[in-house]
Amino acid sequence: MRHVFETMGTVASIELPTGWGPALVMPVFAAIDERFSLYRPDSELSRIADGRASLTTSSDTMRASYARAVDWRALTGGLFSPHRPDGVLDLNGIVKAEAIEQAGVLLDATGCPTWSINVGGDILVSGGPWPTGVVDPSDPTALLCSVLLGDPRRALATSGSAQRGDHIWLGGSRALAEFVQVSVAANDIVTADVLATAIIAGGRDALDDITDRWDVDVFAVDRSGALAATPGFRRALVGA
Amino acid sequence: MRTRAVLGSLFASTAVLVVGWQAGGAVLANQAIGTTTSAPQASGTSGTTAATVPSATPLPSATATAAPVAAGPADGTYTGSSVNTPFGSVQVAVTLSGGTITDVTAVHLTDADGRSRQISNYAAPMLRSEVLSSQSAHVSNVGGATYTTRGYLQSVQSALDQAGF
Repeated sequence: MRHVFETMGTVASIELPTGWGPALVMPVFAAIDERFSLYRPDSELSRIADGRASLTTSSDTMRASYARAVDWRALTGGLFSPHRPDGVLDLNGIVKAEAIEQAGVLLDATGCPTWSINVGGDILVSGGPWPTGVVDPSDPTALLCSVLLGDPRRALATSGSAQRGDHIWLGGSRALAEFVQVSVAANDIVTADVLATAIIAGGRDALDDITDRWDVDVFAVDRSGALAATPGFRRALVGA
Repeated sequence: MRTRAVLGSLFASTAVLVVGWQAGGAVLANQAIGTTTSAPQASGTSGTTAATVPSATPLPSATATAAPVAAGPADGTYTGSSVNTPFGSVQVAVTLSGGTITDVTAVHLTDADGRSRQISNYAAPMLRSEVLSSQSAHVSNVGGATYTTRGYLQSVQSALDQAGF
């Protein structure tokens, strides 16, 4: 059954078997939103961002997310960053994926046999395979294609330069992004989300580098509308 | 990086000739086709590096004429031995069907610095017509760049959710 609720400034759509309710995972999203939202003036991250609190004396949860984001910054050569260009700490690029990840761990731990979690267009599934659409960036009411998600490719994250894209910074330059939308299928949602962000920020060079170094499948739409996909993504297409 | 890819492709092409010739003598171990699932088709690589097209395309036919059909090797995927070049080791696999090479894939390329490169995973151009058939599929979720709560209301996902998936 489908369960829909608002969280983190967007909407979560969660599919659970009959007898399972969303009450199990809703606190996961609420707790992370409460701690990390920059739209809540008194969240822990807001207090660090404006100097009322210090990162070094922050909660273990905050420092763990920050450390993970810094690791990803190093791995992506700075294309993914936990800081905005003005230097303000902004962990939005990673905490939504972490929330999805934690919710998934919780569902697995309680023995939920099959589920899917979609938060704002980033998806993690268990069981399946789940036919999953990728939206057309030039027409939000249409799909570009559909792929099968399932073990081990359980996660699909999509980043865009045309829509909100508030955690994507193109190195402070005014250059237009080469890709308007990049979807990354990976075995975990944080990897998928971070690398989709990094490819949007770094363009074709980042796409080649990332598909070279990580076991991920990528589907990219450039500014002219042209498509590119890795072999694994082509194989995952519904009906392929 | 691009230059290396081109050079790597050229060496891979050279290795194809060698492997193709050896395959004619059936001296290579026959491997399951599944072992090359992560490798690209020869045509796939061309999208990444245009320079591979002229060198890679003529080879299968050239090899096919060299291999007599009557006494040809068994169908299957043959993996060549690793060949050392000044730019690193190169290993390719060819798929034979009816005495003709139907696919050539790079199993392994190594940079001069020793780092393994999986050129097989490069994203190659794809036509919209290639994905059209998957568009009409019934889906349970829709992925897209992060939408806001307001954006959600106009999304395909919202329609799916209202339908109860």
